[in-house]
Amino acid sequence: MPDWSMEELQDWDKKICTIGETLGLDWYPIEYEICDYKEMIGHMAYTGLPTHYRHWSFGKSFDRIQTEYNLGMSGLPYEMIINSNPSISYLMTENPMATHILTMAHCVGHSDFFKQNRMFSETGADTAIDRFKAAGRRVKKYMEDPNIGAEAVEKILDACHAVRFQIPRTPGIKRRDAKKLKKYYQNLIVNDTSGWWDGFDINKIPLEPDTNLLAFIAEHNRFLEDWERDLIRIVEQESHYFVPQASTKIMNEGWACMIHEKIVNTLGIPDDYYLSFIRLHNQVVRPHLGRINPYHLGFKIFKYIEKNQGFKECLRVRETHNDETFIKNFLNEELCQELNLFSFSFHNQEGYNKIVEVHDKDSWRSIRDDLIRNIGLNSVPVIVVKELQKDGTLILEHEHDGRDLELSEANKVFEHINDLWQGDVRFTTIIEEETWEF
Amino acid sequence: MSTFREHKTIADRAATDRSRHRQKIEKAIKESIRDVVAEESIIGQSGKKKIRIPVKGIKEHRFVYGVNEKNKKVGSAQGKDIKKGQRIGHRRRVSPQQGKENKPGNKPGEEMYEIEMSLEELAGYLFNDLELPELEKKNFKFTTQEKMKRKGKRPYGIRPRLSKKETIKQKIRRKKAAIKAGLYNPEEDDRFTFHESDLRYKHIAPVVKENTAAVIFFVMDVSGSMTKSKKFLARSFFFLLYQFLNHKYSSVDVVFISHTTDANEVNEDQFFTQAPNGGTLVSTGIKKVEEIIEKRYHPNNWNIYTFYCGDGDNWSTDNKETLSSLRRLKEINQLMCYTEIGKLNNYDEYRLFSGGSPEKRLWDWTKLIEDKMFKRVRLVEHKDIWSSFKKLFGGKI
Repeated sequence: MPDWSMEELQDWDKKICTIGETLGLDWYPIEYEICDYKEMIGHMAYTGLPTHYRHWSFGKSFDRIQTEYNLGMSGLPYEMIINSNPSISYLMTENPMATHILTMAHCVGHSDFFKQNRMFSETGADTAIDRFKAAGRRVKKYMEDPNIGAEAVEKILDACHAVRFQIPRTPGIKRRDAKKLKKYYQNLIVNDTSGWWDGFDINKIPLEPDTNLLAFIAEHNRFLEDWERDLIRIVEQESHYFVPQASTKIMNEGWACMIHEKIVNTLGIPDDYYLSFIRLHNQVVRPHLGRINPYHLGFKIFKYIEKNQGFKECLRVRETHNDETFIKNFLNEELCQELNLFSFSFHNQEGYNKIVEVHDKDSWRSIRDDLIRNIGLNSVPVIVVKELQKDGTLILEHEHDGRDLELSEANKVFEHINDLWQGDVRFTTIIEEETWEF
Repeated sequence: MSTFREHKTIADRAATDRSRHRQKIEKAIKESIRDVVAEESIIGQSGKKKIRIPVKGIKEHRFVYGVNEKNKKVGSAQGKDIKKGQRIGHRRRVSPQQGKENKPGNKPGEEMYEIEMSLEELAGYLFNDLELPELEKKNFKFTTQEKMKRKGKRPYGIRPRLSKKETIKQKIRRKKAAIKAGLYNPEEDDRFTFHESDLRYKHIAPVVKENTAAVIFFVMDVSGSMTKSKKFLARSFFFLLYQFLNHKYSSVDVVFISHTTDANEVNEDQFFTQAPNGGTLVSTGIKKVEEIIEKRYHPNNWNIYTFYCGDGDNWSTDNKETLSSLRRLKEINQLMCYTEIGKLNNYDEYRLFSGGSPEKRLWDWTKLIEDKMFKRVRLVEHKDIWSSFKKLFGGKI
């Protein structure tokens, strides 16, 4: 039996909200759903979205999470919250009251971040749930359509999922389709006096390298059926929704940890609650040996800012930064040292990971930059559409940044792209300083 | 103020997606089975033997960076002392980049499932694919044997088959009836005698009995030209045949015969691993089968199946003799199959190898005797196995 009642939850929530307001936070109202562990696994498998469309990959993550949980390999997260208005969050029946208090305080932090951070301004939190619901319904409709069927839908979705993060990383920039882009360039050429635009081929497609592979295919593949195009759009839209979360993971978690710590410390909870709170908190923000724990890193940096510049500055930072600028601006030598950061890479000949740099005076900057290269979507290779040739051949290129692609994977993704394009595709990258064409 | 509500779901919403994922895994299992079939010593093993089958997880593919020296990552070392160039973690082996040999490569750990199943289950998997029920109805023959069997009694027959017991029973019956009817009084009348109609004879009728024992001869050319990969293909095919026949008959004997210019009976291991060199005389293998049948497996009692497997190479002078042996053997077999592995030899090349003689290839020779009982099958790739199998047993292709 749980050691708490609905009334208690509401009491604590009221107190948490009051403290949140005095801290100067402004968040979406939160809707807590009380569910059991099985439902929690279900929510996790579908990235928390209650109305998400169906796909076998979610069944796969469900099974994996459940197996790990049953084997005791991992616990379930105590918090999960959706960027929507109202924010939907889940509380697990099996958890004790102390955990719920921490969860609720943590959620206030997240919801505040969703509402305030500028990266999220275009994610449409008000309509998010409805949009996913509508998309889910459409996918279902296509699956049940005897002229389409689940297999065909799955094939398109599999392919879309393979390239779902081949999209622009800066949120909030409206995409100009081919027509608008042409108009824009025509204007540039007509008003040009410098001669810069002489000899520019206005009929080229695309006029500028396109990083949004899914949108480009949806716009330019004339063989696509309407439902296929719609599926591509659905996946693309979903990716746009998730990009801000991927590019603020460290900040978002650090912020929520800082907030829950602040709230719980002023909440005046009973001693035995406080002990379990401390234990849980330390578990969450502990460093992971040999890796980066975003909760830990974000929390440490925010604490550092607060110590040196006050909480006001923290509020400003949570509004204006993303992980990349956050780390570039605030991860300094002192913090690198405190966190004992190092960079490493895998040596094929030896078969070991080897430390490349440690945080000393000369190399902490390079460690910081390596870290930036690995956070959020920076760990996803950039693929651009270079050209759509007259004969319908699609020319793709990997923007090589020093890191080679994993070929076995890239080959598989290339097959998926072929499925989507339904025509000739040429894709080049650089492997070991040599051009490599698929 | 936040709102709270109890979660009320009726259905497990992940159920369909989970079952779809499992379907995909099942499919992967089937594909892995083919590899297992090709690698393990499983023909003729008892059905209870457990086999571990590694199955590749169903992966979702993304563009990712390779794990190598150029791809630097960052970690925190907690309170530990660290220095440049220090090795961390465990040693890992990596395979080179696919398709680009000799390039230092990388391969992130693949998700692997390991599934344990018995040979029976494994065969079940294989035959589900082959629509076994349909195969069973069609073209499946047993050898038959006529045997005389007792089949009750009847009132006429030859003297030696007279059933004294049954005759007396008839007499007693008649006597009792006579007493009841008052026609015979045992105390006064004479002896109650036998009558013609009391006589009963044992009846014996011929019945046709199906033999449920089978013997399978696997004959393979193990000469130098049969490479390892060709043997793997043969092995997979043989395994299927064995499992299928085992499914059908109560007991199955397997005889392995390997031949070069001279044939030997060997065990399974030797059959697939031995690599003797030398020429090829197909007729020796076939004759060995005849010899063993004569000694141990009488065609009246055994369902005989002979599967020959080779790559079509034969000394051209031997072709005629092979053909006549095959013809003889065909008569006592339930089914014979000539399996050729690899692409059909090109005429010119063939002529070159056979010393320029215009003799036909074995593949062409065997066409002469092809019929319901004698089939020719060509295996080039793994996927041919299934279609060939269906061709053999008359399933849909």
